[in-house]
Amino acid sequence: MSDTLPRTTRRDAGHPPSGGGLPGAIASEWTKLWSVRSVWWCLLSSALLMAATAGQLAIYVANGNTDDDPANDRGVLAVGRIAVDAVELTQFAVIALALLTITSEYSSGTIRGTLQWIPSRARMLLAKTTVVAGVTFGTGLLLGGLGAAVAVAVLGEWGRLEPAETVGHAVGLAGYLALISVCTLGLGAALRGAVGTLVTLFLLLAIVPTMLRLPDLGPLNAIADALPGSAGLHFLRGESDAYPALVGLLIVAGWAVAALLAGLAVLRRRDA
Amino acid sequence: MITLTELTKRFGPTTAVDRLSLSIAPGRVTGFLGPNGAGKSTTIRMILGLDRPDSGTALVGGRPYRSFRHPLREVGALLDARAVHPGRTGRAHLTAMARSNGIPVRRVDEVLDTVGLTEAAGKRAGTLSLGMGQRLGIAGALLGDPSVLIFDEPVNGLDPDGVRWIRELMRSLAAQGRTVFVSSHLMSEMQLTADQLVVIGHGRLLADAPVTEVIAGSSPATVRVASPEPAALARLADGLVGRHATVQRVGDDELLVTGSSVAQVGDLAHELGVRLHGLRTEASLEHAYLELTGAGPAGSGARSGTSERKEA
Repeated sequence: MSDTLPRTTRRDAGHPPSGGGLPGAIASEWTKLWSVRSVWWCLLSSALLMAATAGQLAIYVANGNTDDDPANDRGVLAVGRIAVDAVELTQFAVIALALLTITSEYSSGTIRGTLQWIPSRARMLLAKTTVVAGVTFGTGLLLGGLGAAVAVAVLGEWGRLEPAETVGHAVGLAGYLALISVCTLGLGAALRGAVGTLVTLFLLLAIVPTMLRLPDLGPLNAIADALPGSAGLHFLRGESDAYPALVGLLIVAGWAVAALLAGLAVLRRRDA
Repeated sequence: MITLTELTKRFGPTTAVDRLSLSIAPGRVTGFLGPNGAGKSTTIRMILGLDRPDSGTALVGGRPYRSFRHPLREVGALLDARAVHPGRTGRAHLTAMARSNGIPVRRVDEVLDTVGLTEAAGKRAGTLSLGMGQRLGIAGALLGDPSVLIFDEPVNGLDPDGVRWIRELMRSLAAQGRTVFVSSHLMSEMQLTADQLVVIGHGRLLADAPVTEVIAGSSPATVRVASPEPAALARLADGLVGRHATVQRVGDDELLVTGSSVAQVGDLAHELGVRLHGLRTEASLEHAYLELTGAGPAGSGARSGTSERKEA
């Protein structure tokens, strides 16, 4: 311990400070993300969930194909499609990662530090959004590849491995995961707690759409189609019955933007 | 320089900070005193842009905190030392902090050395002792080499060596021309550290003056007398009352005397042949402070029911 303070930076250098701003905020959030163990557990869980779910789905498909002639392509499935179907469950591990970047700030009290470093609420949230979107997009690409690889192994002759198609599935999956993660981030900033955010997401993604579809009534189905989980799957599966597949992605993006705006409003209005 | 103008914060029906106007000057240590719940932490949070005032302004160097692009280069603050993610190492915490404000990462090692945490820098913050956590918080406050430093209860959890170190650190920071604003509920600590005192109670400004003035301005000192002989002490008490002093009996073996000097009390005890085990004045910042905040032994309407929101 020294009793004197090293005098450095501004006062000695005499030039205006540079750096910081949005790039600095992003670098800071990036450093924070990778410096806690929980992020690695989330990534590991997502990989295990993807491998297990894709394996199981692929087994179903292979067992369901009773036609012995693979030349009859009606039972042959794109391997990327298995990864896409597996994401309905796997997404929750990725969502957990996005969730932790914001709710752990409130549970550990670090939000007060973060807002001292980056007092602009918009810049802070934008930095987190960038990091979360980037990391979950990359994770999505890897998960898409992993799911397809498992599918290739399990499906065998019932799998169709076309590079462009498989990459397309993986990119779509990555895009969906990035958007739903940003949605999680915004919701976490608005609700501030992990439990409330997770329950809300689970309802939005899994429970409510299922309930709405039970009576099979037009208006209820339409509402279910507009929820982010349904819209995402609609996009990922390339369905175009209710609306074009790409609109599904736009709907998810809309949810993400709305959640971010809600989070920003709460950050600006409420005391940290 | 920190400037508060009519700063007000309400939590529901209670007013935590009530039209507080203050100027905290550079080059000296300003102690921010008040009992728990007086509004100290709320005031500091408003200076740092964490809490929104209901009215009034809190400016640092003439600007609101939220407008700074590189706030850590302007203001270093130690709030709750536990506000570090328990799973993150001290070095990672400071590195993230430095990057957010464009501070060179080598500065992290400098401040770790300054606070004596170099060896513990790789440990997860959750495993640090309270004192080490406090040092990490101070390292963060120094990181941007700011001209304004704010410490909220900095000696909490520090051992005597650490307390002395923090005292010297604050003095040296002020000597370098920086604004040093330190909150505490420990008057004795402030008497040793601060040049200027700001005292608040129930969110209102009670005093803003140099330490010496605050002490001098307090009512006549209280003299505390201790004797092992209750009967003799009673004789002394009677004698003092006869000389128009106010005497309060504390237990069997102590008196609190106001309106009489130590010399007078000692002389009278000698005259009356009272054996004394203790004789001292309580003229201290503590005394002045207790008077100001209305919690003194004189009991000038000691109010309770504090209103500051829970320190999280």
